[in-house]
Amino acid sequence: MQSSGADRVRRLLTAAAGALLAALMALVLIVGFRLATRIRANVALLQRASLLETYPSALSQQLTALRERLGTLEYTGGVHQELADSVAGFDRNLAALERRPGVDRPVLRAAGRLWKAYTPVLAPVLAYSGEPYSDTDFGSSLSVSGKIYYTQVRRAELFAQSSAPALHRRLAALSAALQKRTSSAASRLRLLLSVGVLAVLLLGAAAAYLQLARSRGERAARAAEEQTRDILHTVREGLFLLDADYRIGTVWSQALTHLFGREDFAGLSFEELLRDKVSPATLATATKYIKLLWGERAHENLMKSINPLGQLEVILDNGRGGKETHYLQFNFHRVVGPQGVKHVLCTVADITSNVMLARELHEAQESAHSQIDMMVSMLHSDPLQVGGFLDTAAAGLKHVNAILKEPARSHAEFSRKLTGLARELHSIKGEASALNLMSIAQRVHHLEDMVEELKGKSELTGNDFLPVVLKLDELLAHLRAVREVILRLSTLKDGPPSPDGTLSSPILRLRGAERASGAEELAATLQGLARKLAEDHGKPFTLSLEGLEAVPVAYLPTVKDCLIQMLRNAAVHGIEPDAVRRAGSKSATGLVRVQFRRLESGCELVFEDDGAGLSPETLKEAAVRKQLLTEEQAAELDNRSALALIFKPGFSTRTEVSMDAGRGTGMDVVAKAVYALGGRIGVSTHPGRFTRFKIALPAPSQTAVA
Amino acid sequence: MLREEELKTFVEGTTRYFEVAAQQPATIGSPYLLEGETAMHDYTGMINVSGKREGVVYFTAPRAMLTVLLMKMQESDFSHESMRDLVGEVANTISGNARRDFGHDFVISVPSVFAGEKPQIPQPPGARSFVIPIHWRSHSAKLVVSLT
Repeated sequence: MQSSGADRVRRLLTAAAGALLAALMALVLIVGFRLATRIRANVALLQRASLLETYPSALSQQLTALRERLGTLEYTGGVHQELADSVAGFDRNLAALERRPGVDRPVLRAAGRLWKAYTPVLAPVLAYSGEPYSDTDFGSSLSVSGKIYYTQVRRAELFAQSSAPALHRRLAALSAALQKRTSSAASRLRLLLSVGVLAVLLLGAAAAYLQLARSRGERAARAAEEQTRDILHTVREGLFLLDADYRIGTVWSQALTHLFGREDFAGLSFEELLRDKVSPATLATATKYIKLLWGERAHENLMKSINPLGQLEVILDNGRGGKETHYLQFNFHRVVGPQGVKHVLCTVADITSNVMLARELHEAQESAHSQIDMMVSMLHSDPLQVGGFLDTAAAGLKHVNAILKEPARSHAEFSRKLTGLARELHSIKGEASALNLMSIAQRVHHLEDMVEELKGKSELTGNDFLPVVLKLDELLAHLRAVREVILRLSTLKDGPPSPDGTLSSPILRLRGAERASGAEELAATLQGLARKLAEDHGKPFTLSLEGLEAVPVAYLPTVKDCLIQMLRNAAVHGIEPDAVRRAGSKSATGLVRVQFRRLESGCELVFEDDGAGLSPETLKEAAVRKQLLTEEQAAELDNRSALALIFKPGFSTRTEVSMDAGRGTGMDVVAKAVYALGGRIGVSTHPGRFTRFKIALPAPSQTAVA
Repeated sequence: MLREEELKTFVEGTTRYFEVAAQQPATIGSPYLLEGETAMHDYTGMINVSGKREGVVYFTAPRAMLTVLLMKMQESDFSHESMRDLVGEVANTISGNARRDFGHDFVISVPSVFAGEKPQIPQPPGARSFVIPIHWRSHSAKLVVSLT
């Protein structure tokens, strides 16, 4: 910027000097022209004065010659004519001098007066026209008129001889004056010409300097242009200027071509640049943002913080006929001039690799965190209990894969898979939550989200299941990682694992012998889950367990599954918040009671909470909302059938899905598990007081009894 | 972990072959994970992948399906060689699609073709095989993607 200012000053000075010199030259030329004109006039006058100067002596000589010719009786006509011409010439030249300015008037007047004195003596001579000679037999002699003529010539000769020096002096003075004037003018002209030459030299020097400066400036400009071109060709960011109409200027960096796969940027609007690359909503936001940048009051740092194009996902041609997702980062800087914002400088960088790296880093961190969480929860868990869960989960996911593997071509066939998938996943998630294996529970929850989303689609295809199978693979990989962690922990606690990598290392087997029974494990799991649910939902409640030791081993997995789901259900739907309980004159701490009994006819599992109970009307409304029933069907439903709605797949009174409820799968899992064992399930409730589930199971076969 | 876009590229490469060669698009069935059992049909075209991912991708189809496909392509040669060439072409199309979308990230081999012998496909350690059933008319083939 500084060099540009100095250049401007230099250019101004040079222009001023040039103008001054040009004016001087013009002055020299004008004055010189006038001087030359004057000198030419003076020279003409001088010539005339010089000519006049010759006349006095010439007249004297002509008069003498005339007299001598008259004396010798020679022919006088020629001399008389010369005399007449001289007199006429003198008159003509004198008159000419009198008419011209610049002649020394007093001298001229004095010369005129002297010349006037010639007239009386010359006039009779000039006026003579007779024959001066008369011829007789005795020879020729002057005639009478000739004698008079002779006398007049003689008188004129004498006058001329006496007056000629005075007249000559006057005329010489006149010539000298003219000579002086001419010389003076010539001197001035010489001086002027010298000044002119000097001015020309100066002008030439100035022109040469200007040319030099200009070529130097051009060289600098060319070098700067080349540098700019090199920068624009080399820089990896896209650079361009936006004008007040949000259009791209004529100069941009080469990287822009690679970033956007086009070359016609000049005059392209910012909107056109992004139109096919981003969603309409993003485009609208970006356009609004660009407009804001032109506001005089917009604070650049603040604007930067709300830049909606800081990480823009765009689909670009990959140059091989395909498309690629890239992440572009746009940055904007206002170019401000004296009149306000002139342009907005945009820089575009392809940050795809950074985003991918950040994503991978995030995933790695998440993985590390989840591993740490996992290890922490493992330290508080019985490895064998977790190992058991992992076996169950692996079997469950194998079932999930089997459901996926069932052939399907139509929407109905694809849709049928979803219920089975949801049930299986919900069951795994419930047990993972109960064991506080949140990294697993959250992954299953995400998979459930995907399945749930597919339920809302009107036309399902195999493509829709691609993300599901990928997520399933990820979940299986995570389960492998958990198993690995447990193995390591077992090694830390009990020594190296067995060569086959199973959890049943000798020490663990020993511990297994000493470990708690299945019923105690179940009780511990349920108590742990109860504590977690109470904490997560801010609803303190006590879990009372009775008779779990009587649960046959063959029923343990089912009883565990059912109790986990019912416990989560009770915590979310049953037990009321503290304030509601107090208002209903209930104890602030809720109570969930589980009782298992062996009967003659089989087994009975009772699960009861002292919570809000079930409201048939609320259940009907939820069924209508979930489009499981029409309003007419709901109106016709009796209370018993309304309560049975809770076992329908996809039924939930909650509008939002959480880790513990909202998908309408939990009670479906319970019902299906009970039916699978040939059992029955019933529900009774009293609004505001309790909900009670009674599960009747057949007596287990002898071999399966503990 | 394999990404959805990557899986889709292989699927599109396969279905596109049917659309272009037989003017009748193929649909995909419910994808699942291969667990021990073999997914091989009579003819298999396979490409090896290295670079950003390591492993194999193969298209395997029963003879009946390939016969109908050749008929739709106005071919009259239903020989063993024609079948081999056909699965090789499908594998080649899958490879082209992957090159288009992944560029230099993936190094893809020339397709190799197996017929009848049910070969042991090399499984990269730690990779699971994704099976995507390919339905065309009344026939079904499989696309198997096994990449780390």
